[in-house]
Amino acid sequence: MSRLNKARFQLFPNEFKILFVLLIFLLLIGLVGQISASNGECSVSVKKHLLRIISGFVILFAISSCRLKMFYNYAYVFYVFALLALIIVELLGIIRLGAQRWINLGILTVQPSEPMKIALILALSRYYSLLTSSEISEVKNHYIPILLILFPSLLVLKQPDLGSAFLIFCTGISIVFMSGFPKKIFATIVGMGIFSCPFSWFFLHDYQKNRILTFLDPDRDPCGTGYHVLQSKIAIGSGGFWGKGFLCSTQSKLDFLPEKNTDFIFTTITEEFGFIGGCLIILLFIFLISYFFWIAVREKTVFAKLMCGGLGVLLFLHVFVNIAMVMGVLPVVGIPLPFLSYGGSSMLTFMVSCGLIMSALADKWK
Amino acid sequence: MINKNIDTQYSFKKTVRFVFFISLAFLLILVGKLFVLQILESKKYATLSDKNRIRVYPIVQRRGRIITSDGKVVAQNRQRYRLSIESCDIETFTKNFDLIASKINITDAEKTELFESRKNKPKYTPILLKDELSWDEYSKIAMIFYKLNHVSIENSFIREYLMPIEFCHVIGYTTKNKNYLQSLTGQTGIEAFADDQLVGIPGNVKIEINSVGKKMRVIDSVSPVDGEDIIITINSEIQKFIYNLLSAEKAGACVVLDITNGNVVALVSVPGFNSNPITSKISQNEWNKLLNNPLKPLINRAIGGIYPPGSVFKIVTILAALEKKVISPKDTIYCSGGVVLDGNTFHCWKRSGHGKINAYDALRFSCDCYIFEVAKKLGINAIVEYAQKLGYGSKTGIEIPNESSGLLPSKQWKLLRYGKSWKPYETIITAIGQGALLATLIQSATMMGKIYTNNYNFRPSLLIRSQRRFNDERVDPIGTANVEVIKSALYQVCNAGGTASRSCKTAYGISGKTGSSQVRKIRKGEAGMSQNAFPWHFRDHAFFVGCAPYEHPRYVVAVMVEHGGSGSATAAPIARQVFDKLMSMQDVRNTANTKNFHDNFNSVEKR
Repeated sequence: MSRLNKARFQLFPNEFKILFVLLIFLLLIGLVGQISASNGECSVSVKKHLLRIISGFVILFAISSCRLKMFYNYAYVFYVFALLALIIVELLGIIRLGAQRWINLGILTVQPSEPMKIALILALSRYYSLLTSSEISEVKNHYIPILLILFPSLLVLKQPDLGSAFLIFCTGISIVFMSGFPKKIFATIVGMGIFSCPFSWFFLHDYQKNRILTFLDPDRDPCGTGYHVLQSKIAIGSGGFWGKGFLCSTQSKLDFLPEKNTDFIFTTITEEFGFIGGCLIILLFIFLISYFFWIAVREKTVFAKLMCGGLGVLLFLHVFVNIAMVMGVLPVVGIPLPFLSYGGSSMLTFMVSCGLIMSALADKWK
Repeated sequence: MINKNIDTQYSFKKTVRFVFFISLAFLLILVGKLFVLQILESKKYATLSDKNRIRVYPIVQRRGRIITSDGKVVAQNRQRYRLSIESCDIETFTKNFDLIASKINITDAEKTELFESRKNKPKYTPILLKDELSWDEYSKIAMIFYKLNHVSIENSFIREYLMPIEFCHVIGYTTKNKNYLQSLTGQTGIEAFADDQLVGIPGNVKIEINSVGKKMRVIDSVSPVDGEDIIITINSEIQKFIYNLLSAEKAGACVVLDITNGNVVALVSVPGFNSNPITSKISQNEWNKLLNNPLKPLINRAIGGIYPPGSVFKIVTILAALEKKVISPKDTIYCSGGVVLDGNTFHCWKRSGHGKINAYDALRFSCDCYIFEVAKKLGINAIVEYAQKLGYGSKTGIEIPNESSGLLPSKQWKLLRYGKSWKPYETIITAIGQGALLATLIQSATMMGKIYTNNYNFRPSLLIRSQRRFNDERVDPIGTANVEVIKSALYQVCNAGGTASRSCKTAYGISGKTGSSQVRKIRKGEAGMSQNAFPWHFRDHAFFVGCAPYEHPRYVVAVMVEHGGSGSATAAPIARQVFDKLMSMQDVRNTANTKNFHDNFNSVEKR
């Protein structure tokens, strides 16, 4: 492993320290959340979560020890593999007559929309790094990236996973924007997109329509679709300023809260640790997202810039959509909270993201 | 290669920053929302959270019993069971309901109501299905209880009246409290009057439940406080006896007072009704039948029925005249059979006249002319003054709601009511207990009580002395000499050839006064006709008020038979039988303290 350059890790620059401090804080909070979600016991799910954190770090170091050039070279290959995985899932879904989001690889199941997020960022960053500034200002040169975005988005949407499709689409579009897509045209398209939103209603599944209707009017069915959001809001609201105290939550302990260790982990934590705990989490994420963008601005190459910016947008979208949905600001779309939610695919995605950031940083000290 | 378009670096910086600041703004919105939820609306959600996890299950208390002075329990509670289903998802709910419906009868209306109320209830709130399950139904449900989820059975009580018809007007009845299903609220009678004492305080138990309605732990519990028992002065045996006696008539009432202590020994109104079905579940049809019955069984005629008191009122006029010294007892007045006033002739009931007549004989024969002449001298103000002192025109304060105060006409009243001045003829017809004058039977009985105790402050009461709330024990004496005149005259009524001597002549000596009050003007040609010749509702009301025994007066009996014809023929014989019954039951005396009370009471199964 010639790539495991001693100098890179001996230096251990401040940039790395910041990232590690933020990561460890977030992962610790997540672990506390997992413990309280299993009523203070060191249950199987807590052990599994811990295992994922550890293996996540292993992957993080493995990725960071690779040179950024390698990801540049294999960007399209990753993309093609991820796309193939999505297509396979779609085919399996047809066979099994139902929603299909996971591929069973024997020992672990993988949600192919997760690697797609990273692969899309890499592929787009590579594409734009080959364009000159004059080429970027021409709209026709953006056709290929938009196709690169639309393919996976539509496949994920068909699974059906509205949340992930939205995330993939927005992340891709933000890279297109960051690359220097003509701003006036971009603004026009966004405007038209917002205008045409109501028409997309006809393409939605019934359960998606239901979720959106419930979101718009939570009292529509307090025992059915609106139940989750209502219970989550009750849990967060009843936490108050200081929270109910560690392991003293009632909403999550008495199972009023659904998905309390996955999508609704933020609720579990804020019920017990109140406004203080909630603000701390959001603040840590703001720092982490700022860090990603800060690296993006500092990086010298277009590929690294766009990749870091894209990863920042991806992180931001996850955090925003998740917290917004548990507080009833957005409809419930099943997006996990990075580093905190129970679940391997999401943990993997963000550990890889951090690894890529470190890899980009490390290139400078080489 | 990677750095091919390095010249665009500045532009990248700008766009990346732009995206970053948008992200930051969105995240700050989240902080704002978090602030709204956890700081501004915290209280609201804390309440909702408690509502989620805490269920309050009521523990029903027992309503106090009502016991008669001879120790008979007349109102008690019977154990029943309340069946409720918790609101949950429709499949489980329907499954539960179907299982229950297969065992016990549930009407369509009940079913619709149940499913209707499920809709607005938060999850796992118990909804009442049946609150009066009998033991049979309870055991049927208990057999399939293991199959049922989210179904609970709790204790409940229904009110049971042991002599529902005889005591219906005295005890009243209860209905379910709309606000709080566990409590019964008294509607009339003692049930309503003493509701505060009887009702008790329900208890509750607060239980923490989890999201599937499983009971996790008891947070807090409050024991119920049972209502107090109430002992009433009614003697059940006499009450029953009188009810049976009176039920031979279409409608009537009877009040028996013990004047030594003001106790109401019996208070009967006929027709009665069965108070048991009203308390539990009465159908609208049955209830309408009761409401629309022309004899109005729901009205307590003894305290709420108002009638012209008729000749009974002559006692008041004579006493007023004696007290005001307008007449002396031995003074005679000539009765020619009628008195002419302002060109109109006012007849005595005896058209041929009574001849020369004094105060004693005026009461004995119930002479109208004598009273007319006395009233002319006395004037309406003096009559009203003494009628008020003797209790007419105001409530007696008996412990039953809906007592009527009657109507005592006066100059002032007429001016206010009709804007007309008082006419002299109105004075004389008021003096014989007719005209606008209206009184309840218990007012007349109280009047007798006041006279025989020589005390204007005499008051009847249904509660034993220790439980009375307002009782003015002060004695406000009536002039002894004048009262003796009245008493001896009333004795003559029943014993010396007076109006009631045919039916009321006894060894122990009844004193009393008959009365027949007209319900309409006598038309030409009808004078002297037998009352039986008129349709029922045109006949006179028959009254008798009396006191016995003569030596040591103890009981006042007042009888009213609606449209009974004449007091002497209809009311007096009934009163006589009541007196006989009272005299035969020597142990009625000191009732609440006698062995009899305790014997009866101890034989009742302790609840």
